[in-house]
This record gives sequence, C-alpha cells and structure tokens, in this order.
Amino acid sequence: MSFWDTFLPSLLQGWLITLAMLALAIPISVTLAISLAIGRVYGKRPVSLLAAGFVGLFRGLPLIVTLLIIFFALPKVGVYFAPFWAAVLGFIFCSGAYQSEYVRAAIRSIDMGQSLAARSLGMSKFREVIHIILPQALIRAFPGISNEIIYLILYSSLAYVVGVSEMFAVSKHFNSLYFRSIEIFSAAAVVYLVMATTASVGFRRLENRLRIPGLEVAR
Amino acid sequence: MSEAEIVLKAENLRKRYGEHEVLRGISFEVGRGETKIMCGPSGSGKSTALRCLNLLTTPDEGRVWLEGTDVTAPSTDINKIRQKIGFVFQEFNLFNHLNALKNVSIGLEKVRKIGKDEARKIALEQLRRVGLEEHAEKYPAELSGGQKQRVAVARALAMSPVIVFYDEPTSALDPHLIGEVLEVMKELAREKMTSLVVTHEMGFAQSVGDEMMFMVDGRIVERGTPRELISHPQYEVTKSFFERIQELYGSER
Repeated sequence: MSFWDTFLPSLLQGWLITLAMLALAIPISVTLAISLAIGRVYGKRPVSLLAAGFVGLFRGLPLIVTLLIIFFALPKVGVYFAPFWAAVLGFIFCSGAYQSEYVRAAIRSIDMGQSLAARSLGMSKFREVIHIILPQALIRAFPGISNEIIYLILYSSLAYVVGVSEMFAVSKHFNSLYFRSIEIFSAAAVVYLVMATTASVGFRRLENRLRIPGLEVAR
Repeated sequence: MSEAEIVLKAENLRKRYGEHEVLRGISFEVGRGETKIMCGPSGSGKSTALRCLNLLTTPDEGRVWLEGTDVTAPSTDINKIRQKIGFVFQEFNLFNHLNALKNVSIGLEKVRKIGKDEARKIALEQLRRVGLEEHAEKYPAELSGGQKQRVAVARALAMSPVIVFYDEPTSALDPHLIGEVLEVMKELAREKMTSLVVTHEMGFAQSVGDEMMFMVDGRIVERGTPRELISHPQYEVTKSFFERIQELYGSER
C-alpha cells in the first residue's frame, strides 16, 4: 500500500472525530455562554459571582493547560474522563467563557427603555429577557460568537495532547512514521482552512439573514 | 364623583434618591373617561410620579389604587396591574428587533396569551386606529419619530388598558411630527379613553384636558381646568412657566 492509501483514510477518520467533538462542543458552548451571561447580568449575587469566577478561570488558562488538567490532574482526585470527553469538556468551558463575554456586553448594550417598555406591558423579568433583551443581544453578539467558534474549530487540534485520535493527532502520528512533513501537514492545513472558511461564509450568510434594520453591528 | 367612577387614585406618594426628595407627597384621582394633564418644569417629578404609579419605580411611601385594587400592596401581582395601564414613553421604546405589527402584538401573545392569529388581528386593528396599517411590516428604524410614537400608542391600546399614561410623548419629536401624534391622542381623548398625560403641549391640554395639575419640586402646587390654570395662575412659578412656554411655542398649538 502506498503512503497516500494509508494516510488519507486515517486522515478522514481523524477528521470525523474532529467533527464529532465540534458538533458537541459548539452548541453546548453557545448555550453555556448565554447562561453564564444571563447569570452574570441578572443573577443574584452568588450566581453572578459564580458565573464571573467561571469565566475568569477559563479565560485565564491556556486551553492546553485546561485540557491537561481535566485529563491528567482530575483523575488524581477521582474524576475520570475518556480522552474524547476530556477534550470536549475543555472546549466547552474555554469557548463558553470567551463567548459569554460577547453576550454579556451585548445584553449590557441594550437600551434601558426596552426593559421599561417590556415591564410596562406586564411582562415578568423572565419574559422580558427571553422575548425582548436576548433576541437583540444575540444579534449584536453574533459576530463575536462566530469568531470564537472559528477559533474553536482550529483549536480543536489541541485535543491531541490528551490522546484523542483527531485529525491533527493522525497527522502527527503519520509524520513520525513517514517524515513526509510537507504532504502530511499541508493536507491537514488544507482541511482546517476549508473548515474555517466554510464556517466563516456560513456565519456571514446567517448574519445577513438575521439582519434587522437598526440593529446592524457597526463594522 | 362617585367611588365607582375613579379609575386611578394616588395618595401621598413620596420618593427620594439619597438627599434629593423627588416626590413630596402627591395625591390625585383620575375618573373614568377623564384626560388629566400633568405639567411643570423639568425635574419637578412628573416622570417619577408616572413611574411610581405602575411601580416601574417603587415609591418610598404612599399608596396607589387601580379600579379599587391596591397596586402598592405586596400581595398584588404587579404584572397583572401593568397589563391594564398603557404606557407611552418620551423615547418611544419600541422593541427594535420587532416590526410594527409584532411590537403591538407581542404583549397580547406573550403576556395575555392570546393566539397568534387573533393577536395579529387585534394588532392590525390598533395600527389602523393610529393610521399605520400599511406600515405594519416596517421595523422601528424604518419609521419616522411620529410614526414610532403612534405605534407605541397602538401597542399600549392593544392591551385594552383601563388608563393610558403618556410621559412627554411629543418632547423627542421634530416639530413637524408632533401634530400627527397629538391628533391620535386627541381622538382617543374624545373617545373617552381615560388618560394621564405629562406634556407641555398647552393647545392639547386646553382642547381635551379635563383637569391640569402643575408640579413644582415634587408637589402638586396648583390644579384646575387647563384654561383657568393657564390664564389665571395663582403662583409666580406657574405664571412664569406658562409665559416661557408661550414664548417658545407660540399660542396657537
């Protein structure tokens, strides 16, 4: 079997694992980000402090350190994760923390009058946030969130440090067997570039679709 | 006026922010079908008074009744009360992410739990009432100030309120857009929509106001029919205030 005949199928398999990690981490990290932001802005003091602490912690650690702690340090205190799940969890915490800052800033940027109008219609605080504040905040936070998601797509390559056989780990492994660095890393690079570009184009389209007169984000 | 006809009653409302006492004991009543005007220099507490009435701001002291229900009682569900009080803001405060129709129907759908189709029908009716049916699909940013404020009026009316509060509804508008909003408000007053209006529009006050209250430094210092108050003010502050308004606006409006 030639080099390409063994490398490409393995690369494909690694890519599928990369996609699986992202398919889990992206929606969950967005949900976490929104929850953290709401907790920080509207939560009672303990909730708000807890959310702020969470964000501060995971924004303050390099993703690689977070991953190593989850996979290697937590077992010492009896918490075990398989490599795949350790990576997904690290991605969710790290990206969720970053994204939540965009959502929080966007919530804060919504004019006080929106809240007054909602409450004067008889909406509860909960309804106000769900129906009036969040929809506007998420439109404003959208470019920031999509940027973080693109980072996440690329940083998913760090999962190799906890032994996930994702696309980058496969590339590294093949490089150590064949030393054909140019072909191997170029192939991986092209796939990452295509993923990031596809995401970028997709987000741009979605952003245009979500565009509402008067709510555009200044560029 | 008999007890049954009183829609809104405020008794001894007080509010202070730190050292500054914004409301120093405000008491008044609004009867069914009445249009009450509240005016006075800026900082006199008019807006705070309005907001204390539906507890957007919590008063430190005093009580408010809406159709006999004690609004200020801790057991009262304030969200239920607010559904019955239309509130029109100086800055319109239309929901920026919703078109005109949705701005009017969202309260019906999400608060009153009326079905989507029925809510849409009511919202269209109310938009027609303020002359904006053909702008139903436009977003706030695509409407003029006068149109925005008319949508805000429709939004308030859609909830079938027992009273509408207007907080300087024309103060943020270009002069040439004020008329269309006042027309809508006058029409509603003629239809005997109970309302409490904070405004400096003396023409409006004189044509549809039943009573005018003049506020200074957190107190209602004078009250009477708008005509009486404007032509024969008792106090020097009131007099000089109306003179200044006359100078600024002219007398025709």
